[in-house]
Amino acid sequence: MTKTPAPAVELRGLAKHYGDVVALTDVDLSIAAGEYFVLLGPSGGGKTTLLRTIGGFHRPTKGEVLLHGQEVGHLPPDKRPTTMVFQAYALFPHMSVTQNVGYGLKVAGMDKAQAAEKTAAALEMVGLDTFADRRPHELSGGQQQRVQLARAFVLDRDILLLDEPLAALDAQLRKDMCLELKHLQEKVGITFIHVTHNQEEAMTVADRIALIANGRLVEHGAARDIYRAPQKAFTASFVGENNLLSGRVTETAGQTARIDVGGTALRVDRRGQQVQTGQDVTLSIRSESVALDTAPDTEEDGTSLVGSYNEAVYLGLTTSHLVHLPDGTEMVSRVIADQDDMMPAAGAPVRLSWQPDAIRLHVE
Amino acid sequence: MDDYANPWLHRLKWGYLLLVVLTLMTPVFYVMYVSFNANGFGANAYDFTWEWYRLVFSDELLLGALRWTLMLAVTVTVIAVPMALLAAKHYKATRNKLFPVFLLLAPLFVPPDILGSALLVFFKNLNLSLIWLGDQLGTSIFDSWFRLSFLTAVIGLIIYTIPYSFIVILITMGRYRPEQTEAARACGANGWRAFWDIEFPQIRPGVLSACAFTVILVFNEYTRTSLLKGGFDTFTTVLISQMLNTGMSPQSYAMSAMVSFVAIALIGSIILWTLIRAETLSRVARAKAEPVMS
Repeated sequence: MTKTPAPAVELRGLAKHYGDVVALTDVDLSIAAGEYFVLLGPSGGGKTTLLRTIGGFHRPTKGEVLLHGQEVGHLPPDKRPTTMVFQAYALFPHMSVTQNVGYGLKVAGMDKAQAAEKTAAALEMVGLDTFADRRPHELSGGQQQRVQLARAFVLDRDILLLDEPLAALDAQLRKDMCLELKHLQEKVGITFIHVTHNQEEAMTVADRIALIANGRLVEHGAARDIYRAPQKAFTASFVGENNLLSGRVTETAGQTARIDVGGTALRVDRRGQQVQTGQDVTLSIRSESVALDTAPDTEEDGTSLVGSYNEAVYLGLTTSHLVHLPDGTEMVSRVIADQDDMMPAAGAPVRLSWQPDAIRLHVE
Repeated sequence: MDDYANPWLHRLKWGYLLLVVLTLMTPVFYVMYVSFNANGFGANAYDFTWEWYRLVFSDELLLGALRWTLMLAVTVTVIAVPMALLAAKHYKATRNKLFPVFLLLAPLFVPPDILGSALLVFFKNLNLSLIWLGDQLGTSIFDSWFRLSFLTAVIGLIIYTIPYSFIVILITMGRYRPEQTEAARACGANGWRAFWDIEFPQIRPGVLSACAFTVILVFNEYTRTSLLKGGFDTFTTVLISQMLNTGMSPQSYAMSAMVSFVAIALIGSIILWTLIRAETLSRVARAKAEPVMS
């Protein structure tokens, strides 16, 4: 019988409190070896605390941190099989790029010639071999982050923690570095755990994403599932551009529930969730799944809502059409800009419709 | 208005700065000047001589005082600066900063004679208590622990100098980013190694300045030292007791000038070293910052 390898990271009932402040609570999570895992969430939600607890910079108040099956909650960062890339300011300013990258090898007592060889290879991997003698302040932000990556890779640890590594970079550089990170992870094959509040960055690099907010693990799953089929209303509100509608269950029949949204009845697939008549629920639908129609005089069909046109926001690739529902809720229909051939007048009645499987029910 | 637009305003500012420095330093320079005059203070004729310095160095009492002063300075520096460094590290890490900073800076706000006499009374009482304890236990081992001595002078001077070292080190630490220590830990360094390899090289100028500051403060201190010392004299206590008993002698001017020379040399060296280092670093940085042509 073959034994299943232990996950690279396993968190069981993890909690971190600072006095009365609860930074993390009841986090259970498993990350497989070789996975690119992203902790995504709003600022102050607890994702960096979680990453730092995995890295040994915080001692958990409760729960266990297992790395490759070994409980390491009591170990300091230098005794764990992890290394870390920080947001910024983490290069040693009094050392050259080579000295920065080779520092961990020096600490480990590696033979100088071997250390120099490994350092050069790591610098070549991140494309900084011609910058070896420079000091950190002589490098750009992107180059500095690459030095941090080389400093991490050179140690041959199998879990790399990245704490908002691209947050200090400008938008274009961030996009480039995202792809570079993804390719580097595929090349070295180790586990990456990447913290970010930027959903585009998360989508670009992640195999799986975990949503962290208010100290809790909200939801986790494959990047595509998190985007296309969010289980929780919070996920829908944070990932992608979703319309959130509040409603009340008026009827259930088989897998379908009928929900009243501002006086209009909508049909929604329950997807196995239990709901009762009279229960308040939330519905979500991605803005790109909502079609805008200027001829609203059709009958109620359970997959559309009528509202008054507000304005269009041109975003380059796409245009967002903003519509006000009678109860004041704002809905967005997003279309590819080039296909945008209709532009109703402000206040004109419009119908927003979608495919039956595009709308999702959230009962929490 | 930009003062460079008005050259006279610019010159006035420099003139004012020079005036302040001259006001502060003229008495010191005058003492140095007098200390080389064979005819002493107030004489019409000025004949250059090393005689007063030769006399200082041939006077066993003064040389003994110099040795004690150096021993005090070294001992206080070796103890007070690491303590101030630890305090500054704690201060940066702690959330509640008000209480520790009050405790550390309090000695600065207590007049020297009050602090000196308070410590004198404290050590006397402590000594009496320990003698009583020794009597109860039938031993005389505690009798001399807190008798006025080198130890009591060292304690008094540590209390006096720690706030200065603390502030100087804290200022240098202000620029240090704790992420660097964490990065070193993530590279496998333990806490001490991370401090020694990464943090210390960056705060070293502050630590060296604190050392120099402490040495100068110990050299110059009179009130606390004279109240708390045992049966030895320091350079300053000899100088002041000579002035009080027999008035200023040409030898006293030579001694005063020597203390000033040491202080100016130390501070000057630190400033020069810092300036030269900053200039070298920026020159190297400029050279390396040339575009890479590959």
